[in-house]
Amino acid sequence: MAKVTDMVLWDKPGEKVLLLGNQAIARGALEANIAVYAAYPGTPSSELTDTMAVVAKKAGVYMEYSTNEKVAFETALAAAWSGLRAMTAMKHVGLNVAADTFLSSVGMGVEGGFVIMVADDPSMWSSQNEQDTRVYAKFANVPVLEPTSPQEAKEMTKYAFELSEKFKHFVILRTTTRSSHARGDVVLGELPEEIKAGKRKFGKFEKDPSRFVDVPSNARRFHPLILEKIEKIREELNNCPFNWIEGDENAKVGIIAPGLAYAYVKEALHWLGIENVKVLKLGTPFPVPYGLLEKFFEGLEKVLIVEELEPVVEEQVKTWAYDRGIRIPIHGKDLVPRVYEMTTRRAVTAIAKFLGIDGPLNYEELDAKYRKALEIVPPRPPSLCPACPHRNSFYAIKKATRARGIYPSDIGCYTLGLLPPLQTVDTTVAMGGSIGIAHGLEIAQHGALTEEQRRGEKKIIVATIGDSTFYHTGLPALANAIYNRSNILIVVLDNLVTAMTGDQPNPSTGQTPHGMGKRIPIEDVAKAMGADFVAVVDPYDIKATYETIKKALEVEGVSVVVSRQVCALYRIGQMRRRGEKWPIYYVDEDACTGCKICINAYGCPAIYWDEEKKQARIEPSMCWGCGGCAQVCPFDAFKPVEEGEE
Amino acid sequence: MKEYNIVIAGVGGQGVLTAANILGWAALRAGYKVRMGEVHGMSQRFGSVVSYVRFGEEVYGSMVPEGKGDVILGFEPVEALRYINHLKEGGIAVVNTKPIVPVQVSMGQARYPSLDEIREIFEKEFRAKWIGFNAEELAIKAGHVVTTNTVLIGALTQIPEFPLDAEHVREVIKLSVPPKAVEMNMKAFDLGIEAAKEILGL
Repeated sequence: MAKVTDMVLWDKPGEKVLLLGNQAIARGALEANIAVYAAYPGTPSSELTDTMAVVAKKAGVYMEYSTNEKVAFETALAAAWSGLRAMTAMKHVGLNVAADTFLSSVGMGVEGGFVIMVADDPSMWSSQNEQDTRVYAKFANVPVLEPTSPQEAKEMTKYAFELSEKFKHFVILRTTTRSSHARGDVVLGELPEEIKAGKRKFGKFEKDPSRFVDVPSNARRFHPLILEKIEKIREELNNCPFNWIEGDENAKVGIIAPGLAYAYVKEALHWLGIENVKVLKLGTPFPVPYGLLEKFFEGLEKVLIVEELEPVVEEQVKTWAYDRGIRIPIHGKDLVPRVYEMTTRRAVTAIAKFLGIDGPLNYEELDAKYRKALEIVPPRPPSLCPACPHRNSFYAIKKATRARGIYPSDIGCYTLGLLPPLQTVDTTVAMGGSIGIAHGLEIAQHGALTEEQRRGEKKIIVATIGDSTFYHTGLPALANAIYNRSNILIVVLDNLVTAMTGDQPNPSTGQTPHGMGKRIPIEDVAKAMGADFVAVVDPYDIKATYETIKKALEVEGVSVVVSRQVCALYRIGQMRRRGEKWPIYYVDEDACTGCKICINAYGCPAIYWDEEKKQARIEPSMCWGCGGCAQVCPFDAFKPVEEGEE
Repeated sequence: MKEYNIVIAGVGGQGVLTAANILGWAALRAGYKVRMGEVHGMSQRFGSVVSYVRFGEEVYGSMVPEGKGDVILGFEPVEALRYINHLKEGGIAVVNTKPIVPVQVSMGQARYPSLDEIREIFEKEFRAKWIGFNAEELAIKAGHVVTTNTVLIGALTQIPEFPLDAEHVREVIKLSVPPKAVEMNMKAFDLGIEAAKEILGL
């Protein structure tokens, strides 16, 4: 098969390919002749950004990995002000970071189409909360489009640019994990000549301080303008190609299915074998077009809104119906759960109840059988990879603090340090939050240090933060801690990539998708800011890491230790691609005493317990050869497999 | 055909996504409407992973609904069991019987069940057909442990009423893997076919 990133740039209109929702959006942006793309990665949005990174240069699109969502937002916004089509993308919580600019600049509008792709994560597969971006859209009075399939995601992206340009307003393209990470058949459309030629497009910024400076006198003008615009857009959306009424025209019951929920409603209706219903398929959950509602409600005696998460559509529909004097029953969150993602089961259960019929399956029976099956299934949470440098850093931190420290941490793979046996993550809140929380904890507990700790460590709070997160929102927090004379240790887990979201580059290496940018070493930043102790260590040397952390704990003030070693998953991936081999380790049966330190204190997933022999063993296919086990074993039982041995 | 639903379960890093992609492309090339669902990000780090491959006229969502899976392709025994709620009654389980023991079991915090216990739930509770064999062993025989997913896909093509033709799937694998790995994967595919035929008495 051709590489997907090649297919995204194929000049083959009409060709049917299999694309991930996020890749379909990238293709849509290219078909819409996008000029500028800037984003910070975040699951489930990342593949859109990564696809743009691969195709940008060939397509003549300016693309960057920005240091955070706010900066990315501003970069793309300024391009749209300059008359170019621009896009930014983020996960749902990324919009919190960009929210200040988002909510303050919405009244200024745009010249070129400006599309904000926001990927929500219902059920929180890879996220810290379940916020619904449609609520933000309503808050900001920005229209939001939500696709139901990869094909629609592509078409909607094109439409989003057009809508944005027509009304000189922001447009949000909202996906969820199940649409961003759904793969499906997509028919490619035409690519614009400029994209095919790979020609960079440039715009022109026309100065207009009455528009682009948000002083109160201007802002006061904006607010009524925004409200006027959104009502005009609501009117326009009556004719939006992603909103329609289908099913039985004469039906007495109706179902409203916004966004991806439409897919589940369709499946549920097929499964139930129901045909005498009318369905309002809504690609624009905000603003809900009233004209379409008027038509849909005709002849209906009751309505069900099958909607994921917050009752955004429900509230609009109920308000509209009340004002119109419509008094038929309108169901929504009374039948459809408000938490976690939508499923066919949820849709089918809600619809069956709404219609007063039996469901297609006896779920009670299924649940009982399933519960019984799960009783014997051991848990398998995600874990730090074999050879992960973070494991060594955590191991050294725990040892140096004699497991008596407090460990605020951050957002990244290293959050997994919360699991046994490491358990060196006590708090995580949001990107960059570790340092602020550490500072607050130190203020709150400083007096609680024991005499022994005062003589020795001088500090007990150790924050951990990744390289990308450090540049994302760690910087202002570090400045604050140093400025206010905090007394904490910050260990920057610098694995030289943004690992969790798929190995994107960041300022720590200076690499960009199109060659070298400028490298910004973290230790230089810490020194320049005035940290009281700064050191760089290689966590693959556990003893040196431990000793450096010990020293850092003995300094009063803000200590910064940069624990630098490339992400193991990234390194192994590169080696695999180059066909290289790496050393692996084995357990010397004569040396292993079965003390289990390697399992109960270190916890590499390649090490398992041989119940019969009562000894540790290494699964060779999982060993990535860091040798950490050999350093933590007090009996030298882990040995490298010599060349040629099996 | 209205719909055919495959649930692929395994451990992050085993090649679950690759297998899903091959089956998805094979279905697309056979002219079906295709939907696949997967989860990226944190769950991929050696945790439990699941992918869904669905095709037919009436598939819309990317997830196989509970109780609607025609087959579970299990890369690891307890992972197959973890998603058994997706299997329809009388469905089929094609399972690699080589376990990967979770860290929690090594630490003594959980127990790894016996293969018989797992099989019994599939056969007795869910009245499923069990096609279990050590696919990893066959993959090593074919040339490398990474071909385990190809062995399993080979076996999958032999199950009763599987809508995709084995030769058609083979073609997609040929196009998907690096040129120098084609031979090894073809061997793995054949070993998977043989293993399934033997179990099914074909």
